[in-house]
Amino acid sequence: MKSYISATVFSQRETARGHFLMALKTSASFRESLPGQFIMVRTDTNDGLFLPRPFSIYSVYSRGGDTFVEILYKVVGKGTEVFSGFTQNDVLNILGPLGGGFDVPSACKKIFLIAGGVGIAPLSFLAQRCRKEIHGAEITCYMGAASSEALLGVDRIEESCSVVKISTDDGSRGYSGPVTELFRCDMDLYVDDTVHIYSCGPNPMLRSLHELLKGRQIACEVSLEERMACGIGACLGCVVKTKSGGVSDGPARVCKEGPVFDINSVDFGDDSG
Amino acid sequence: MKLKMGVDIGGLALKNPVMTASGTFGYGEEYADYLDLNRLGAIVVKGLSLNPREGNLSPRTMETASGMLNAVGLQNVGVRAFIDDKLPWLSRVDSAVIVNIFGESLEDYVKVAEILSNAEGVAAVEVNISCPNVKRGGIAFGSDPVVAGEVTRAVKDVSRIPVIVKLTPNVTDITEIARSVESAGADAISLINTITGMSVDIEKRMPHLENITGGLSGPAIKPVALRMVWEVVNAVSIPTIGVGGIMNARDAIEFLIVGAKAVQVGTANFLNPGVTADIIDDIERFMSENGIGDINDLTGTLRI
Repeated sequence: MKSYISATVFSQRETARGHFLMALKTSASFRESLPGQFIMVRTDTNDGLFLPRPFSIYSVYSRGGDTFVEILYKVVGKGTEVFSGFTQNDVLNILGPLGGGFDVPSACKKIFLIAGGVGIAPLSFLAQRCRKEIHGAEITCYMGAASSEALLGVDRIEESCSVVKISTDDGSRGYSGPVTELFRCDMDLYVDDTVHIYSCGPNPMLRSLHELLKGRQIACEVSLEERMACGIGACLGCVVKTKSGGVSDGPARVCKEGPVFDINSVDFGDDSG
Repeated sequence: MKLKMGVDIGGLALKNPVMTASGTFGYGEEYADYLDLNRLGAIVVKGLSLNPREGNLSPRTMETASGMLNAVGLQNVGVRAFIDDKLPWLSRVDSAVIVNIFGESLEDYVKVAEILSNAEGVAAVEVNISCPNVKRGGIAFGSDPVVAGEVTRAVKDVSRIPVIVKLTPNVTDITEIARSVESAGADAISLINTITGMSVDIEKRMPHLENITGGLSGPAIKPVALRMVWEVVNAVSIPTIGVGGIMNARDAIEFLIVGAKAVQVGTANFLNPGVTADIIDDIERFMSENGIGDINDLTGTLRI
């Protein structure tokens, strides 16, 4: 039977203001994690937190016989605030890996990643895997953040990608404007229908991407984020509207049918098609 | 010493008094990887309506102090899809299957109950007259003793299996509703459903839930639930099932001591999907340590 297991904080540091990178020492079962999957994290300490919280897996690695899971997150509420205070040797409870991962066809050679803010986390994991497993993969990453100080994991993503293009909302680094605009400028130059796009970021960003790709036959998967209570498909707290699913099973659960979806199956509420 | 864990809930024999609470346990299958479902006294599945329902928009949940608010909006596959797609698998589990039902009209309740009563593998129905999330549904039935009695009688008339009525705490006097459903023929009563609540994002000055209000559950509501179960136990003679904020065996035993014949575990499943098995083990340990051979000898032993 699967269950929550205890995981020890191996390290934690603030990588950008309000953003944290935590490494957890955990069981070898996490080696099977796929890019796009997530974990639920819970604390039993008496800090007023109740429910577990979901986090995308940023990376999984083994060292000296131990397995480590990394999460990269932004402090957005009480849960993440409490987690950001944990330090080495503190113990948390984790469940996972959960949900489904990104689907990368082995024949796929041209990969585009489009990340907004902390959305870089699952895409960075994906880039690492593709670099390792797909011979000759050409990976281009577009990453956006509010400002240069808020950019996350640039060094790591640069190791896996052939090209990394950066945009910031305030223009303090790279292109000035939304990352989807930066992508749009390049799109007609060299994005053809054989590429695969993977994206994660705030909903408005994903909606813009959906607009951009309309009418094109480009495969694009997005990883979505929602508040969750259980993470295993029971509470129905994290649902999103989809276009494809029949009515009988209702809206799709981000934790179970997702968190990765075909961009065309998600109803972003922007149009009918 | 071999412990006797079996309880009888209005003609429904359960191998132990621990069930799951509707709306927190999906259709059972969601937990198969995390728990040996055969251990449960009963599985109470997600509330079903005559037709499928999409439920409310997100956000649907919000954590609050020692609890959570939810406004799922009774999303479900509908009673027919449940029977075709979910029940065959669930029937193979060696636990009683109790199906929670709701409707927007008396006729809906009756139709759903009729369909389930004729389905193979359903041990009992639990009538939700209390869900606070749906604008036209639940609340109107559960807060009026006359209407609550009418629904109970109508469902009872078409059911060949035991009928449990689940009460809402959002009423002035819960004993009045309990007596009414008892005289209308209910075989058992379960309580409490969630307490209506609200939470506001002060930066955005917006409610945290898309539905504005939601149902509060978790340990925050346990003292209220316990008080209401105690009141109802003293007001009726049919069996009572205690629900509300049970996180561990100690909580469950409190409900048994005030007089509940069985308990339902809800929100705790979200924190630990295997929690119900732990609760059963720990109740047994408590009984052994205290020389209690039969779980029924614990029920209603509150010393005042």
